[in-house]
Amino acid sequence: MAKENTKPTRLIAGQATLLSRTMHDIRYDPIHDEFLVTNPFAQAILVFRGGANGEEAPIRIIQGPHTLLDGGGIATSGADRLEVDPVHDEIFIPAGDRILVYPRTANGDVAPLRTIVGPDTTLKSANALAVDPVRNVIVAGTLNRYRGRMGALLTFNRTDDGNAKPRTIVVGPNTKIETLNQLQVYPPKGWIVATQSGDSYNNVEPEGVFVGIWSINDNGDVPPRWKLGGPKSVMKKPRGVALNPKNKELIVADMRLNSVLTYYFPEIF
Amino acid sequence: MARINLSLCPAAGVLLVLIAFFAFAVLFSGKPDHLASDALSNVALRTADLEPAGHPQLISIEPLPETDGEMCQWSPASAGENLAAILAEQQSSQPSGGNSSGPAFGKEIERAPVRVIRDTYPTYSAIAVDTKSNEVYLEDENLFGYRVFNRTDNTPASVAFTEPKRMVGGIHTKLEFNCGLYVDPKTGDVYSVNNDTVDSMVVFPRDARGDVAPMRDLHIPHGSYGIAVDEGAEELFLTVEHINSVVVYRKTAKGEDKPIRTLGGDHTGLADPHGIAVDTKNNWIFVTNHGNAKDSKPPRTGRFEPPSITVYPLKASGDTAPLRTIAGPRTTFNWPAHVYADPEHGEIFVANDVGDSILVFRETDQGDAAPIRTIHGPKAGLKNPTGLFVDSKNDELWVSNMGNHSARVFARSANGDVAPLRIIRSAPAGKLALAIGNPGGAAYDDKRGEILVPN
Repeated sequence: MAKENTKPTRLIAGQATLLSRTMHDIRYDPIHDEFLVTNPFAQAILVFRGGANGEEAPIRIIQGPHTLLDGGGIATSGADRLEVDPVHDEIFIPAGDRILVYPRTANGDVAPLRTIVGPDTTLKSANALAVDPVRNVIVAGTLNRYRGRMGALLTFNRTDDGNAKPRTIVVGPNTKIETLNQLQVYPPKGWIVATQSGDSYNNVEPEGVFVGIWSINDNGDVPPRWKLGGPKSVMKKPRGVALNPKNKELIVADMRLNSVLTYYFPEIF
Repeated sequence: MARINLSLCPAAGVLLVLIAFFAFAVLFSGKPDHLASDALSNVALRTADLEPAGHPQLISIEPLPETDGEMCQWSPASAGENLAAILAEQQSSQPSGGNSSGPAFGKEIERAPVRVIRDTYPTYSAIAVDTKSNEVYLEDENLFGYRVFNRTDNTPASVAFTEPKRMVGGIHTKLEFNCGLYVDPKTGDVYSVNNDTVDSMVVFPRDARGDVAPMRDLHIPHGSYGIAVDEGAEELFLTVEHINSVVVYRKTAKGEDKPIRTLGGDHTGLADPHGIAVDTKNNWIFVTNHGNAKDSKPPRTGRFEPPSITVYPLKASGDTAPLRTIAGPRTTFNWPAHVYADPEHGEIFVANDVGDSILVFRETDQGDAAPIRTIHGPKAGLKNPTGLFVDSKNDELWVSNMGNHSARVFARSANGDVAPLRIIRSAPAGKLALAIGNPGGAAYDDKRGEILVPN
């Protein structure tokens, strides 16, 4: 129940953590009590024990030439965002024109188990990902380069490999998607929760930012089922989102506000 | 169950014991006990006879109505919305079982957050001193602005903070994740470098204040961090984290002007470069590196190197190897941030972020060199220092702290756990920063009831 000026209960920082001072995603694995982040500058996936604190080293690191993590661009390739599926023991990396899948317990220079890549995938600037382990579906979100200046949500079967067609593509002017950042899925009801931050690289306070909720089966040029935004929401640049189903809360990390905003949102739970 | 309207005092102790006994009976009987309720009502009747006594007394007990087992939907006490309004919205939303038969598309929800975690105080990522005007500039990377103080300001212990003389900040300034700062010693112009968003370096005149547009704006590479200027050649140097490079522009560059030189490549040893300093007497560039490295060509495999300072010729360009490298455990580097070169004394100063220290090396040091001086300890009061400036005119060393909303000034040759000469505070003494800065994601740890935020 932290609020303004509340000190953090834990702070993990320092050279031995192997963290970089830029991180765009974090995932908590409740089954194994671990959390995962990427280091986009060193092209690494770092896994920490759930209770890590202080200058504590990761317990596993995925890094090296066999990983095929390629840090060529900015947030469009390589290890920038990630997702963990603790049910099927897999880690997913959205990497621009491909999705890489690793064993959850991988450590070292490990090749991906599967790679979704190829012209039929239509993947372009894939930047975020979430998994629904109940329906065995993965959802990828893109930057504003998928079609014109629009971004998109694409779903694939979780076990897809190679040149697989997406199950669904949500794209178009009615979606109001420009740039998607962190995604979540609420598996009990099949909702995709996506942060839409607009063109935040070139604008101090982009217009039309929101957190949007779509069904995992939505397809085409469809707006979100719910769109949380507007002046009352105080959001300026939502980049991160997490779900707290027990308290029916949406937790949003807002870059422009340098804040964490918690919304009571029983509609989706 | 009874609702108790109670105003306590020690004299009500006997009544509390009675009430506790009856409450115990109710709890362990499994459902409201009519006998217990009646007994509580009898207590209420007896207390109704009380005379005003000049101290708090139990005055009434009201039994709540019986429930039939249904519970109202829980709503947090801090919810910003009227519960009835939320329930009304839910009825029209008709959440589904995960298929496309959910609510109609396009339902707009405008709702205030129930809680906001944020640091309301500035956190200082960089610092510069204008010895001509006797002012110190502090770069605020939390609230996105900069603040100007008198060089001799010293916040008294009893005061919450010192008011700045001037502040620049707001949407028109284009300041965001501003982490590099330079003040032109001749003109007083202020140069500020944005890091992870709004890829700009913006320049303001010395007397700028408020939410004003910059007088000049240069589009710089994404992930730029440190800035240094060769005034003689009128060249401006920036480190770029994301592409492990140093880019050099004309000092007056603006708009879409391109760099005149770029230092980058696998032989440079640049690995997540942060601070940069130039020594125009000896023609050297100094760069601090966090050690997050990757190959410059595909597949751009990553690796971890030790944190370091790499030194280059002033006009270095392309894939040039460093002249020397300072790295190793004796350096005590821990996320080394900004660096400052003092050629007059042949020294380089490093703001050692997580080390909570300032490290001083000889400019000619190389290899696993220990610092010749280290400022660190409770008296020094450094907390995540990332910015520093050596004021040669007054023989002082300035340090800006991201961790405690303050700038501290020491004697230039200070060493060990020494108290600062002066402190400029922008928050109450002892107030630590929340360390939220550039939160790009979030996760919820339901085991611990904690929100995880990477910065």
